[in-house]
Amino acid sequence: MNKPYSADTAFRGKFAYKNSDAGILRFPFPFAEDGYMYSVNIEPHVRGGPSEAFHHVFDVDEHYVAECEERAIVLAEDPARCQVLPHMMQAQWDTLELMMESLAEDYPEHFSLEKEGDRWTWTNRLLDIRDSFTFGDALSLPYEPFEYITRQGQGDFTLQDQRNDNLFLDGGMVTTQADWSLNFDLGMSFHEWHGPVPKAHEMGVFDRALKFLLRLPYGRPVRRLNWTMTINPRLDTSPENYSVWGPDRATVTPENVGEKVHLRVEVQTLFRLPRSNAILFGIRCYLISLAELSRVPKWRRRLHRVLQGLDPALQDYKGLVRYRPMAIDYLVDDGAPTSPGIQSDLTSL
Amino acid sequence: MIVPSQIPYRVREVEKLSPTLKRFYLEAADGGALPPSSAGAHVVLTIPGVHRTWKNAYSISSTPGERESYSIIVRRVLNSRGGSVQMHEGVTAGDVINGAVPHNLFALSRAGRKHVLIAGGIGITPLLSHAAALHGGEAPFELHQFSSKAEIPVFERLLGVYAGHAQVHGPGGEAEAVEAILTHQPLGAHVYVCGPPLLIELVVRTAEQLGWPTAAIHHESFGDHSAGAPFTAMLAKSKIEIAVGPDQSLLEAIEAVGVQAPYLCRGGACGQCMTRVIAGEPDHRDDVLTPEERAAGELIMTCVSRAKTPRLVLDL
Amino acid sequence: MADQGIRSRPVYGPVRLDATGRRHLLVTDKPEVPADALRDELGAFPEVWTVARTARQPSSPFLAPAEGAASTHAFRSLAQLFDALRARLSRETMGFRLYAVGSETFLADVGALGASAGLGRAEIVLGHAGSLGRRVYCVHCRTMTDGVKDNVFACSGCGASLFVRDHFSARLAAFMGVQVDAEVPGELPPIETLYE
Repeated sequence: MNKPYSADTAFRGKFAYKNSDAGILRFPFPFAEDGYMYSVNIEPHVRGGPSEAFHHVFDVDEHYVAECEERAIVLAEDPARCQVLPHMMQAQWDTLELMMESLAEDYPEHFSLEKEGDRWTWTNRLLDIRDSFTFGDALSLPYEPFEYITRQGQGDFTLQDQRNDNLFLDGGMVTTQADWSLNFDLGMSFHEWHGPVPKAHEMGVFDRALKFLLRLPYGRPVRRLNWTMTINPRLDTSPENYSVWGPDRATVTPENVGEKVHLRVEVQTLFRLPRSNAILFGIRCYLISLAELSRVPKWRRRLHRVLQGLDPALQDYKGLVRYRPMAIDYLVDDGAPTSPGIQSDLTSL
Repeated sequence: MIVPSQIPYRVREVEKLSPTLKRFYLEAADGGALPPSSAGAHVVLTIPGVHRTWKNAYSISSTPGERESYSIIVRRVLNSRGGSVQMHEGVTAGDVINGAVPHNLFALSRAGRKHVLIAGGIGITPLLSHAAALHGGEAPFELHQFSSKAEIPVFERLLGVYAGHAQVHGPGGEAEAVEAILTHQPLGAHVYVCGPPLLIELVVRTAEQLGWPTAAIHHESFGDHSAGAPFTAMLAKSKIEIAVGPDQSLLEAIEAVGVQAPYLCRGGACGQCMTRVIAGEPDHRDDVLTPEERAAGELIMTCVSRAKTPRLVLDL
Repeated sequence: MADQGIRSRPVYGPVRLDATGRRHLLVTDKPEVPADALRDELGAFPEVWTVARTARQPSSPFLAPAEGAASTHAFRSLAQLFDALRARLSRETMGFRLYAVGSETFLADVGALGASAGLGRAEIVLGHAGSLGRRVYCVHCRTMTDGVKDNVFACSGCGASLFVRDHFSARLAAFMGVQVDAEVPGELPPIETLYE
């Protein structure tokens, strides 16, 4: 894989962000066909799939260092972006173990995990971290286990307690979210925290998804894709900071639409945690500008068509209304057929 | 992590606890670490016999999270499909048995303020893991074991480490005892019961009468629901007609002819084995289908349910 | 913003006695329980607490409910009632049901207090009577503003014009307020009084 870099990357302020050619080709484009509506689009999370982003349990890409630095900034501004309710300590350790074991197995050149009984030593060469601690003793780590390890992971994570035939959002590290508030949603049940999503409830999407997740077995993680659009390569599009990033939506012009408008894709993964029986929900966020995306003809055409036919309720909920027409005009559709599936159909750009 | 569906367990040791109770210590046959388990989880073991194999679920009774070994306790039951007899008479230390990773349908309610554990006989097994998880923690708990007279010393020994939290009750006066246990429990308490159907019914009924909400009452039963009158099943996709014997579940009969059917808990609770019924009337014995789904007769849980008609046609 | 019908929004119906419970306590934020908020007769509820809003209200032993006979306790203020409720719940046992009738904010506070005392959702029954005025949490500055009646109002903490969403947090006992003109400052929707 490309060695992760962070030099000159900024997800705020003056912004500086680009995907390498390899980064563009491995982008998890979410649309398998020329239209989009909500569905329970869950599939097994195996190491493999049409995008390289699916080839590891927790994907580490060229933006790893930059994203970890950005997370640290958000937490310094707003520590309430990481909260775990007291009864979820076991789930915290489950998460630390899962992420450390997976990262060390998938990227041995970057991460190592040594165990001597309960005494573990974790090395993260990308962030220059080496810590020895006692598994099970939160005081032996500089942060509680969940915060400790998610500070070293890309994307957001939530912990869901399973009880009373329901799932409850009882913890989270949420700094790269698409417009939802951890502090507000903490403690909500499955249907409650999905409350604001239009249409999907009447379609029964959440009823079926909940039933499926309640039965999710250990060792059989699943994944699905979600998407929206963001102006500028901004990761922190939290409701808390809407006053800061909201104005960006009104700054899109036909001249800058290619550089400013970004497709934002979430690769969502769901794991049953072994000791706590809780569920870890990973929300891994990928950004690509329309200009970069347009270098893949199939994706350019397909995104045009998806935006063109998008249900107005979804346009509104995803915040696209102001700039959608400009984005459609920019993404030229030459009417050529597109293949089914999300793959780019290219081996190089 | 992503793990294979079957892992080989090696029996490290077999310990006889009583004439009908044996404790088996299982470790990873490859010498590695087992997945950590959660309190209340069970493993489904594939028990090899001379003429057939059994797939039985056993609660993990050891401390959750331990990765070197799991312990299970098996009651030798004569009038059953025979898996427990095979475990007692045919399995010794060094044997390798395939099984699934732990799955949990009887978890502790983590936000509970107090946990009341009630067991009858072999029902103690999942509650031993609950007690181990709760011991030394912040939420108070009590464990009540209802036992035959002969087995009181066995359970007192098993529960010795929980002195102060655990009590073994001999036979007689169960109804009064259960009422006394469940009265005056603080708000936010949860009760967990495992054991013979009569005890489960007593605890659930008493809790409800005392005003406990359903969400605070948890139970797991080990009843062998899957035996019954023989019938035939036509597997439409595989084009195989199978005979389901009286002492074998529909799922077992399907597996016996080499067809891979989905399953998980093998106890009618999790829904993974749900299969479409094309013809015939199912005899539902599961906990998953709604009354409407049962009446519609288009779905069946193959692990426990059987047939009301002599023949079923399944979409398998 | 089309938020109506959102699943987190609490929906209240007429309050009736839950026959599966063994002990029942009905609380209200008013001097008398509004009868039309109840499905059953007031007399069906063995124990009732009200708020008299006067210092002259004598005390009564709310920790020792009279067995069998119906009893009513009136408190001097909402604060005193909540204090008493906290103390009572800390001594209660399984089989208890808590009922509340009152304003949107009162119900949210009773719900949160009950949850913190260990009551589950099936053990608390809420019925609305009186003001629909909402407690709103400003997601930008975290200030709570009580008694909000309009769809858009100025946050008492940071001054932002906030749209009052239907998204409700039981943990915070408040609805969410989000800046309505973040994208184009000054571009406000028509202001309507919705929560009177």
